[in-house]
Amino acid sequence: MDLQGQNGLVSTYRQSWRNRGLAGVLVSALLVTFYLVLYFEDKLEKVIHMRPLTDFATSVGLRNRWYLYGLLYCVLMIVGGALYLRKHGNSRYNQLRIATNVTVQVLFGFLLPFIMPLFNGPELYVSYFWPLKYDYFYPHTLQDLPLYFAAYTVLGSLLLAPIMAYFFGKRWYCSWVCGCGALANTFGDPWRHLTSKSTRAWRFEKWSIYLVLGLVLLTTALVGMDFLVGAQHPTFHRLVAGEHWDDWSLKYLYGLVVGAILAGVVGTGLYPILGPRVWCRNFCPMAAFLGLVGKFGRFRIRVKPGMCISCGNCSTYCEMGIDVRSYAQSDQSFTRASCVGCGMCAHVCPRGVLKLSNAPRGQADKKRQGLTVVDF
Amino acid sequence: MQIVIVGNGVAGMEAALVVRARMPEAEITIVSEESEHFFSRTALMWVVCGQLDYPDIEPLERDVYARQRFRRVRARAVGLDAEARTLKLVGDLPDLPFDSLLIACGSRPRPGPWPGSTLGGVGHFVTMQDLEWLEAELHGGPAKAGPPNSGGHLAHTTEDSPYLPRTVSAVARGASSRRPCVVGGGLIGIEAVEVMHAAGLRPRFFIREEWFWPIAMDSKESTWIAERMREHGVDVQLEEGLECFEADDAGNVVAVKSDRGERYEVDLAVIAIGVVPNTDWLKGSAVKLDAGGGIVVDEGLESSVPGVFAAGDCASVRWFEGSRRPEQLWYTGREQGRIAGKRLMGDAALYARGAWYNSAKLFDIEYTTVGLVNMNLEGEQNFYFEERGSVRSTNRVVVADGRVVGFNFLGRRWDHEVLLRFIAERRSLEYTLEHLHEAAFDTEFVPALSIPPEARRAPLSGPAPSGVREPITPPTSAASRVASQGAR
Ligand SMILES: Cc1cc2nc3c(=O)[nH]c(=O)nc-3n(C[C@H](O)[C@H](O)[C@H](O)COP(=O)(O)OP(=O)(O)OC[C@H]3O[C@@H](n4cnc5c(N)ncnc54)[C@H](O)[C@@H]3O)c2cc1C
Ligand code: SF4
Ligand code: SF4
Repeated sequence: MDLQGQNGLVSTYRQSWRNRGLAGVLVSALLVTFYLVLYFEDKLEKVIHMRPLTDFATSVGLRNRWYLYGLLYCVLMIVGGALYLRKHGNSRYNQLRIATNVTVQVLFGFLLPFIMPLFNGPELYVSYFWPLKYDYFYPHTLQDLPLYFAAYTVLGSLLLAPIMAYFFGKRWYCSWVCGCGALANTFGDPWRHLTSKSTRAWRFEKWSIYLVLGLVLLTTALVGMDFLVGAQHPTFHRLVAGEHWDDWSLKYLYGLVVGAILAGVVGTGLYPILGPRVWCRNFCPMAAFLGLVGKFGRFRIRVKPGMCISCGNCSTYCEMGIDVRSYAQSDQSFTRASCVGCGMCAHVCPRGVLKLSNAPRGQADKKRQGLTVVDF
Repeated sequence: MQIVIVGNGVAGMEAALVVRARMPEAEITIVSEESEHFFSRTALMWVVCGQLDYPDIEPLERDVYARQRFRRVRARAVGLDAEARTLKLVGDLPDLPFDSLLIACGSRPRPGPWPGSTLGGVGHFVTMQDLEWLEAELHGGPAKAGPPNSGGHLAHTTEDSPYLPRTVSAVARGASSRRPCVVGGGLIGIEAVEVMHAAGLRPRFFIREEWFWPIAMDSKESTWIAERMREHGVDVQLEEGLECFEADDAGNVVAVKSDRGERYEVDLAVIAIGVVPNTDWLKGSAVKLDAGGGIVVDEGLESSVPGVFAAGDCASVRWFEGSRRPEQLWYTGREQGRIAGKRLMGDAALYARGAWYNSAKLFDIEYTTVGLVNMNLEGEQNFYFEERGSVRSTNRVVVADGRVVGFNFLGRRWDHEVLLRFIAERRSLEYTLEHLHEAAFDTEFVPALSIPPEARRAPLSGPAPSGVREPITPPTSAASRVASQGAR
């Protein structure tokens, strides 16, 4: 039987590992260490004279440490997804969404890119788009990609993704397809209440996420220019696209700071401290881009006027730190650029006040003035 | 201008915000005994469960007093001098002079009539202090930090205050509760049961009536809820009331005796037999109270003392059928607070009693009710359809005078605004069933309700027995309309 609404959240605050207790901090430390080794193994090698992840990966036939990472990612998502569904699986939305997440990740995030090279094919990630996968827009990368895939990724990033965001909100990507979001919603779910709801956190987010969006645009543009004129201007080339790490080029820095530190070390490593969507909320340029499109699109959260009892379940369990209650208790349907449409606010609302909706806007979205008066 | 508000619940706080929005200079003093911050009383249960933390149930950020320049007095109000226009505070705290006063002091639990109702381990589930008590009984204390400055009022209160901390029997026993029970089959009762179930226990639920919540449910609907409770491991004792509580030497409850002569061992009991207006402190003042203790107010929420208003659970308002009693609901409290706020500033405003609607969650079953349900209307008929597919639901439409007047739904989510429109437009049952999908508010991908044609033509049944109401004539005002308060 399908029942709507939450169950299984009841112990949230009574489990210390979910509330920055010692176990939570240890999990975080472990994750951070893992990511540091993953990204900086070659530097580490100079000190400890071994490459722990690569050596392990090759010894089990995974060829390199990135495939090992991909496999671990799948395992965490499958386990986390099963636990998630044990808690929230009484909702169709959650069932379909998590099933899609796991399928996309296993097929396109791991199997396809792992298997294709075995048949001398290219290693392609079809579920990632620019500006999240920023290097797909670097001319050198595009040049090397098979033509069909280059066309797919350019059209996908510039047309498909925003058009879908217009009709369905950015959730189609952030909550159904993207691996970062999928990991946050499965493995990271136990910590979703930790995302800060403070006004300060909101202010930080608005600055940081558009800053990264600006940076990725700048980097993409300059790397593109470098492709055209870099050969004539060696200094420009070195500053923009220099490949050696001590060139400290823009391209290198963006990869280091955004691609490795913010997306990996901070974004996933700090799940148990800051909540699972740190990256998506504060830094992801794809989220920023699709969120802006979505602001003018159809997706919004409809509020059933008068019904909200201000309990705070929706705000507490919003992984993006949106104070959903503030809209609900003022009878206001809303679209927030940051909303990834995970559906949790509607799911946990004990009064059925909220509904995710793509339908064209109508009367129902109007803010209500007061009690509805019916003379019988 | 000096404005004093008793109570920082939804009614009091809403009024204060309305005043501040228009009167930046007004002196606004909020007297609140129970808690430092405005919190959502409706959300108490999730705090006990560990699903929400104390700050989570506060609808406004904690700095609201500072930002809005509300003066907070954490003390008990004990009376009112209508002549001198002052509010009296407990002990030797100075009186508070006011130009206008709002009393929004809410409800207190109805005390148990049975011997032993005040024993250790016996309590209620209404106040912040009840919450702390229940957390201590079930879990040994709060999950994280408890409420800020929880005892801030203890130096400024009276013996008969409903906001005094209760003794925790678990402390004397040295162990959390193992065998809890709840007395009284209403909404607060079922929430208390859920809280115990969430603590991994098997509560016993004493319901005096033939089925759970007859004032709102008919027997078929209620049977499903009882079934669901039993599936969750609740011992639902229907048609079984209490005789008395028994205590051990330390004065803590150890058993209840039922009116069927049974004796059950229990170590914790929550009495949830309703709430009464929290107005004892106004007895003997110039403010007129009704028989139940509610503050009698006119359509502008003004009490018998000019310039003194009441809103929320403590205000006795006139209902559509002419009777007078408080509306103990969150949204009506909020709305009354908004109107009262205008009145405090001297504006004219009327509280237009809205159509009845509400939603709730009974364990994991969604519940929506709209319009006149279980009202025992003359000539009332009920359409009932039970769905048992991938979704289970019950769907009841109340018909009187050849048009729909009410809806009672379990298992699905509904948009009450659309349902109210059907009522206001005086739609027939046929039309309503045809258009029911317009009111669906289920989460995405939930298969839509479909009522097969033969079920639509099934014979209707008579009035749903509410067991508590005298028959009333259906209101027949010719002009039906939907209007909003703001437009008036
Ligand atoms: C467990 C529970 C669940 C509920 N669930 C729902 C629900 O799901 N939906 C719904 O619509 N309603 C629900 N209600 C009812 C709803 O909570 C109330 O209708 C609403 O809170 C009333 O608000 P209020 O502002 O009138 O009073 P209150 O919130 O009771 O506030 C009264 C305030 O007055 C102050 N006060 C009282 N006396 C004095 C005094 N003498 N001196 C100083 N201060 C004083 C107290 O400090 C208190 O803060 C529920 C109630 C309970 C107890
Ligand atoms: S607002 Fe609701 S749907 Fe959007 S991210 Fe927050 S919980 Fe998810
Ligand atoms: S929208 Fe629902 S979950 Fe959010 S505060 Fe209101 S009643 Fe609670």
